[in-house]
Amino acid sequence: MDYSENRIADYTADPTISRGSIDVPFLLLTLLLLTVGVVMVLSASFARAYYSESTHHSATYFFSRQLFFAISGVAIMIVASRFPIGFYRRFSGVILLFALVMLLLVLVGGVKANGARRWFSIGSITFQPSEIAKIGVILFDAQLICRFKGKMGTFKYGVLPFGIVAALVIGLLILEPHLSASIIIILITATMMFIGGTRLLWFLFGGGVVAMGGLLAVSLLHYSSERITAWRDPFADTSDTGYQIIQSLYAIGSGGLSGLGLGNSRQKYLYLPEEHNDFIFSVVCEELGFIGAGLILILFALLICRGFWLAMHCRDRYSFLVCSGVTALLAFQVILNVAVVTNLIPCTGISLPFFSYGGTALWLQLAEMGVILSISREIPEKKFFRERSAVKPKQAPKEAGI
Amino acid sequence: MADHNTPTPGGNRPPNKMMLSRTFVLLIVCGVAAFIVLLGQLYQIQIRKHDLYEAAAIEQQVRETALDSGRGTIYDRNHKILAMSATVDTIYISPAEIIMYQEDPVLISKTLSQILGVEYARIMEMTSDTKSWYKTVARKVEQDVSDRVREFKNEYNLKGVKIETDSKRYYPYSSLASHVVGFVGFENNGLAGVELSMNSQLTGTAGRVVRAKNAYGTDMLYTKYEDFYDAEDGYNVTLTIDTTVQYYLEKNLRQAVEDYGVRNGAAAIAMDVNTGELLGLVSLDNFDSNHYQSVSEKVQAQIEETEDETVRSTLLSNAQHNQWHNKAVEDMYEPGSTFKPITIAMALEEGVVTKDSQFYCGGVFAVPGDTDEGRHCWKRAGHGMQTLQQSLQHSCNVALIQIAQLVGAEKFYEYVDAFGFNSKTGIELSGEAGSLWWSDSVFLDPYNQTQLAAASFGQTFNITPLQLVRAMSCVVNGGYLMQPYLVKEVTDAAGNTITKNEPTVVRQVLSEETSATMREMLESVVGDMVEGTGKNAYVAGYRVGGKTGTSTNTVKEASTGQKEYIVSFIGVAPANDPKICILVLLDNPDANCGTAVSGGAMGAPTVGNMMSDILPYLGVEADYSDHDLKTMDRSVPNLVNLSVAQAQQILKAQNLSSRVIGQGDTVTMQLPSPNLTVAAQSQVVLFAGGEPSEELEEVPDLSYLTYDVARQRLGYLALFISSENNYISNPARAVITKQSIEPGTMVEHGTVIKVSMTTNDESTNART
Repeated sequence: MDYSENRIADYTADPTISRGSIDVPFLLLTLLLLTVGVVMVLSASFARAYYSESTHHSATYFFSRQLFFAISGVAIMIVASRFPIGFYRRFSGVILLFALVMLLLVLVGGVKANGARRWFSIGSITFQPSEIAKIGVILFDAQLICRFKGKMGTFKYGVLPFGIVAALVIGLLILEPHLSASIIIILITATMMFIGGTRLLWFLFGGGVVAMGGLLAVSLLHYSSERITAWRDPFADTSDTGYQIIQSLYAIGSGGLSGLGLGNSRQKYLYLPEEHNDFIFSVVCEELGFIGAGLILILFALLICRGFWLAMHCRDRYSFLVCSGVTALLAFQVILNVAVVTNLIPCTGISLPFFSYGGTALWLQLAEMGVILSISREIPEKKFFRERSAVKPKQAPKEAGI
Repeated sequence: MADHNTPTPGGNRPPNKMMLSRTFVLLIVCGVAAFIVLLGQLYQIQIRKHDLYEAAAIEQQVRETALDSGRGTIYDRNHKILAMSATVDTIYISPAEIIMYQEDPVLISKTLSQILGVEYARIMEMTSDTKSWYKTVARKVEQDVSDRVREFKNEYNLKGVKIETDSKRYYPYSSLASHVVGFVGFENNGLAGVELSMNSQLTGTAGRVVRAKNAYGTDMLYTKYEDFYDAEDGYNVTLTIDTTVQYYLEKNLRQAVEDYGVRNGAAAIAMDVNTGELLGLVSLDNFDSNHYQSVSEKVQAQIEETEDETVRSTLLSNAQHNQWHNKAVEDMYEPGSTFKPITIAMALEEGVVTKDSQFYCGGVFAVPGDTDEGRHCWKRAGHGMQTLQQSLQHSCNVALIQIAQLVGAEKFYEYVDAFGFNSKTGIELSGEAGSLWWSDSVFLDPYNQTQLAAASFGQTFNITPLQLVRAMSCVVNGGYLMQPYLVKEVTDAAGNTITKNEPTVVRQVLSEETSATMREMLESVVGDMVEGTGKNAYVAGYRVGGKTGTSTNTVKEASTGQKEYIVSFIGVAPANDPKICILVLLDNPDANCGTAVSGGAMGAPTVGNMMSDILPYLGVEADYSDHDLKTMDRSVPNLVNLSVAQAQQILKAQNLSSRVIGQGDTVTMQLPSPNLTVAAQSQVVLFAGGEPSEELEEVPDLSYLTYDVARQRLGYLALFISSENNYISNPARAVITKQSIEPGTMVEHGTVIKVSMTTNDESTNART
């Protein structure tokens, strides 16, 4: 494929819309959170790394890897921000198809861990096809919405195709099984339909179906019902899940108002499972306290608000849909992760974007941010009001960008 | 897929209003509302429930190392240390760390085995449990030994070898007062005696070092989370026990146990009659508090005769419990005749008898309820007509029954209560026994006075030795029932008094007058050299009062059918102003030991020996009677270089005779040597130019000779005699039971042979 600048320019959704500079607040918020996240990986992981046989007792094992992925991830983000949205739109179907194939392949060739096949392992790098599936669903759903336009109010166009896409993906995820990714897929599908214009009535109906399905899943799948028990009374539950939640609450509670200080978490000393992963936010709470953890939550909230704000300023419907979808995806991951570690909802394995250790996931998250940044280029005036009529002359691509 | 290659025209459209408003809803829900909820939850956990979670977290995160609080010292009343703690070390290994740091388990096992004397194979086995972080190799190791371990650890920089500070209890007096002091277990918790009863005061508050640990149990990396909580030392406890008194009690009681073949143990209690302070308390067999689990060699040898392992361990455990058992406090017994003073005291106090009352003993006496001829006096022929005092001297059962009848069953029981025989004394020792009496309905039955009759001379009820000592002290101290106590004072490490026990009068039971009469009467039991059943307790120069007792072990008799005797004697001294009350109790002496099984023949001399040791120590001035002065042993003066006439004069003044050998005027040599103690009237040999022969003399057998006859017989051989403990009991009637030099031994002229004597007559041998 020819990725020369001229070709890229061709993919711009609307040739009349200029490619401006990327949104600086969004970029800064992303980089800020990423930096804090990498530092927190160092703090949270060194005890585990030090005591672990598989890391050869190297305290910086996880940190050095995460740092590499973060730096290369930023590069990926910048590259991604350079592709115009039309590029993503053009390949949305391919990406989804690719994700579906990968989801199929992972059932056969994936690494089995904890009774589930979710991972591909290439050398020391692992990655989850479900991560691609998430962005794939967003890109493809947005494409569908753009095509169906006014017919979104009907069942045939506004519900059925999205249901089929989601069902395909979830069907494969259930086979892994991968409950948390399925939940995310359901949530982003619903989000896409919601902003795409599906009638609200269907959401009531769909909510009912999902609730029924959830109940069914809980009763059928033993491992998730265990989690429900652990959630409702972690102290009565002696299973691993109950232990995780208790340790997380100990960590968060120990933090108090101002925390124990960066690096001073005590729970990370092998008490807290997944302390540099799904439960990294517990360490954040313990070390930085209510003030620090609250600040980080606010940064996330600002990033999410900025994402939606950018979406609302898109003059291209596809850009708008993708920008909203990706932002919503980010929001769901953050909210669900924090809700799990604070025991607001039952335990599911959702990682915290920019914080949780995991190379390829971080790459994808940053790439998604890159997509939003790419979209932000199309917004001529990054102001808190809309100027729909403002049409600027097309600028040469090489002057665009940061 | 052609659609995807080129943007659809619709893609160019901006989002419509509905889309924007729905996105705005999303923004509010996902960007604001959700985060408010999350922040709220964080607030709940981090601020509201902070203390709760932090406490729980810290509990799992920290390892507490207890800092020994320094268990308090136990002193005797003169501040001699009975129990103290010293720092020792416990050596342990961490097999997990040995593996982690790749240390050599063979080297560690070998060296530790060498230093600590623990089997090499056992340590090797410990090291193989590589998941463990704590395996104790040796507990409570002395500092010099642990220093060698420390050296070894530092030399090889071993992380898997650890040394922990611990403390060990030392009992400088070993077995002395072991039942009072008690002992502590491995964790330095009191398990017996004052160590147990005063455990909370002695323990103090253990200090702690709190260190952060990871979930594996080792220290957290880089985290210097360490907190020290100072240990608060335990309080020191000062006892009323006097180690010297205790020593004399033990020495003489042990001697009695040996001499009389006592099989079921023995007990002795010495109490300050005026304060209730216990000066000494012995129970035999006892044990060494330092090694409280070791039994005596004799018992150990007996146990080892058994082949069967389980039988052996049962025997050992029985023997241990036997030696830990405190007979003086935990046992009940029938006091027998030692109770008679109590009966007489209550009769005097009630005014139903006077000193001059007369009682006739015909040898047998029947009371309402008796189905046969009635109760026999120990003297079948009867004592005839006797005064109140004689009744006690004779220990006449018949007279006592009559006296009790005069008191009446109801009053008798009131006094039993008043004398504290129905309540525990509350001594600071665990496991104190109570007492056993007839129920009121049985005892107070006017148609059946057999219980009252038996109780009058101390039978058919059970009390503890300590209860009797308390009541007897009350009888002689002016009538005040004192609260007996062991703990004089509790002080903190700096010496400040925390609590102090003062003498406490529970109640006045008798008048001063009754008490004075009782003192006189009790002294006559010992002092009357003809009729006194307790004359073997006589101590020259001191006025000792007391009462004999011989009772059967009713419990044993009921279960085995064998008659076992408990002989006892309770003595008070000085009789005119009592200071100390001593009870000796010998359980099941051997009838074939050569001494009559009776309180008068066994108990009385034992108490007499104790008194003769203890009274001078307590600073009671000896006040010799003329009789004492004439008969007691004396020190030989130095007569060398004096003129013969002078020497003879001095000797005469000292009630010693003399024999002169040689023709000279000046004494050149004398036998025995100056300052040796010999019997009165001994014939000192004075050499005036003559020389003593070098020949040796054979020591004759002195058994069953009186003191005077023995002295004369030895005198012919130029040998001399003196009595053990400088005690002389009616030399005319006492016979020698033991001599310090075996018969047949060849000795030089002038040797002094020490003898023990006992009066062996109808009154002392009476089982009363």
